[in-house]
Amino acid sequence: MGAVLAPERILKELSDLWVSLGKQGDAEHGAGVLRACSMTLVVLAEESDDASALGETLAALMPEHPARTMVVRLRGGAERVLADRVYAQCWMPFGQRRQICCEQVEITASDAALGDLPSVVLPLAVPDLPLMVWCRSARLAVMPEFQAIAAMARKVMLDSGNMPDARAALRRLAAGRNVLLGDLAWTRLTRWREMFSQVFENRAHLDQLPAVEKVLVNFGGNQETSGWYMAAWLHNSLAQAGVHPEVAVEGTAGRPDPLRVQLTGPGLDVTLMRQANRLEVTVNGLSHCTSLSEPSDYLLMREELGIVRSDPVFEAALATAARLV
Amino acid sequence: MPIENPFEDPLRFERRVPECAIVIFGANGDLTKRKLLPALYRLAYDRRLSAGFAVAGISRTSMSDDQFRDKMKEAVQQFSDDTHFDEDVWQAFAAGLFYVAGDIADAGLYQRLAARLAEIEKARHTGGNVLFYLSTQPSQYAPAALGLGSAGLGKGNGWRRLIVEKPFGHDLESARELSDNLHQVFAEADVYRIDHYLGKETVQNILAFRFGNGIFEPLWNRRYVNHVQITAAESIGVEGRGAYYQEAGALADMIQNHLLQVMATIAMEPSASFRATSVRDERSKLLRSIRHMTPDEIRQNTVPGQYGPARIGGQDLPGFRQETGVDPQSQTDTYAAATFFVENWRWAGVPFYVRTGKRLPKRVTEIAIEFNRAPLAIFENQDGDGNVPNLLIVRIQPEEGISLKFLSKRPGAGMNLRPVSMDFNYGSSFGERSPSAYETLLLDAIIGDATLYTRQDMVEASWSVVEPIQNVWRQTKFDFPNYPVGSWGPAAADEMLARRGHVWRKP
Repeated sequence: MGAVLAPERILKELSDLWVSLGKQGDAEHGAGVLRACSMTLVVLAEESDDASALGETLAALMPEHPARTMVVRLRGGAERVLADRVYAQCWMPFGQRRQICCEQVEITASDAALGDLPSVVLPLAVPDLPLMVWCRSARLAVMPEFQAIAAMARKVMLDSGNMPDARAALRRLAAGRNVLLGDLAWTRLTRWREMFSQVFENRAHLDQLPAVEKVLVNFGGNQETSGWYMAAWLHNSLAQAGVHPEVAVEGTAGRPDPLRVQLTGPGLDVTLMRQANRLEVTVNGLSHCTSLSEPSDYLLMREELGIVRSDPVFEAALATAARLV
Repeated sequence: MPIENPFEDPLRFERRVPECAIVIFGANGDLTKRKLLPALYRLAYDRRLSAGFAVAGISRTSMSDDQFRDKMKEAVQQFSDDTHFDEDVWQAFAAGLFYVAGDIADAGLYQRLAARLAEIEKARHTGGNVLFYLSTQPSQYAPAALGLGSAGLGKGNGWRRLIVEKPFGHDLESARELSDNLHQVFAEADVYRIDHYLGKETVQNILAFRFGNGIFEPLWNRRYVNHVQITAAESIGVEGRGAYYQEAGALADMIQNHLLQVMATIAMEPSASFRATSVRDERSKLLRSIRHMTPDEIRQNTVPGQYGPARIGGQDLPGFRQETGVDPQSQTDTYAAATFFVENWRWAGVPFYVRTGKRLPKRVTEIAIEFNRAPLAIFENQDGDGNVPNLLIVRIQPEEGISLKFLSKRPGAGMNLRPVSMDFNYGSSFGERSPSAYETLLLDAIIGDATLYTRQDMVEASWSVVEPIQNVWRQTKFDFPNYPVGSWGPAAADEMLARRGHVWRKP
């Protein structure tokens, strides 16, 4: 372990890895290995972050978003430390003899060495493919060094739900957007928003929208930013339809359901709430229940990695949420 | 008053699903239990259905709503292989299930149905939209449609659509007659002729593969493509459907609909947009471009087959004529192979070999596009494996995916070539479960997207190709059986390709 980390050496190790995988694949299966890559994914995680859970998430993502993955594990400390390990993530498609493999590089960095990270990451990025940064560390997201890392990326994904001060986090995210941004606290709302939208596929319900007087969002647990996002999205969507109801966001500590959304007005009462692993949609007393388990990191990242372009609905919701808080 | 739903987020949301009621004729039948209800439950489970959704089942058996719900629950539990059964989701879904007993020939049925639909619309907020699904004997399609028309159910507050299962007639004339009857009540745009092959992910992916990428389309023509093989093989026999199958045969059961549609998808011209009309226009144009063969050409370019008994793995398997309900002298084709030619500038002279059969060695459906060899063999020892042509294989089942086979240098001294395969596997490349063909097609019909449905002109074009073959085959007495169970079909099918220097792939 040392303070110097040479990208050329890592690239050579990656190349050797493929030769060895190829030989191994030929010997074991007679069909070699297939290298798959659609992006460079840089994952920034604290050393205390559950390595095996993260490994499983990345393994699950690879079949759909094959990537050269660089997992940067942050260990704190003032000593300038950078270390690396190169390995492959492989899977055998059902019914096939050949493995498909993606490259993974694990880099351990102390806080003092964070400034050196961009110079290591950039040469290791796969040419002509997008570089995506997934910052799992709330601590790093507010450090000045993060800006240099984020600047390399086509898209940065983080989770404002993990940040200690939700309101400050939303304001900060809204203020500094030089790259595409994905917030998993927003991604968690996709299925909720979709169900809400479906209610207004009904022409009769849509016609009642102008009567909406109040939007109430209740949140519990660490869902505060999601609660604000939901309120902001409803505010923006209704404004687009020329409707300007009162919008309230209320936190309730210890609520069993982390989020509850209600939209009311004369002749219209729409409520969405989670009950265990199901989402219950009630429209004027008629209930409809669908499965909605808590989305895993895998599902959230899968959605975000699939969107490598500007997301106007999210951007507008973030701007409004930052204003509402 | 808003005209558009302001909550839409097309970047992240699945397609919009309007509220509706689905009326299933033949609700006590196999298709409903095995495919339709499991597909609808899965759509509900995946939050793809609107809250304003209901199903009204119709069959002759007397049943209450609750009995129908219990029956459908059993079916969903039994036939939803890859879907977790969630009691609460089921309860919410089952609350929208209703049943109306009656005979399709009885005018009273349609009056009762109309009254029930009015109640359902009010209670379930279905918006007056109704999708009628004819999952009955083909002979009942016209009476059911006409019955709906007489009761005024062909029109209403919302849209009215009709899904019809194959076969769409048994020849060109009967196909036209059926369409004429359906059109008395439903406009052609509201008739959805279902071909579940078109709902399969890989068949849809052919369009993405061809028209979403720039590198393949320039090769997609007679200059580079040597020939195309389309195979739909089944390892099973007629499985108790001998009496039905005896009347249909492989040519009418598979080639007339599924395989010609697949061929049209692989060979059609790029459509101007991905709108239903545009895609279907191109598919239809292709079907109309298939050369109609003369009787002599039919004898040269088609091969019927029928499986005979064989002993496989210590087990005696019956031939077709030994199956229950089958005439011991039956001349029905359980195998059909044909060489088609498309008469347009893109494909002139390129043979499209199409084959299908029962009791073949394995269950597989695939399209193999064989490209011309390199114009000059510059490498020595370019024989054996080192001389195989490039192949693009689109696998439809069982493992959906696409493979490209090309030559690569064998590592080591000397320039020895060997074929390697680059694979895209749907199941492994996308972790997500692929929706079943019925999920896709039902959702499309609810949304009003007819892209993957067959249109009247397409049905007629297919029959125009197939009917002359049927006629020649009917006039000929074949020496059946001509292939044993577990083989790749009659020797005559191999000879048909050999005449052009080609060989069937063994998938």
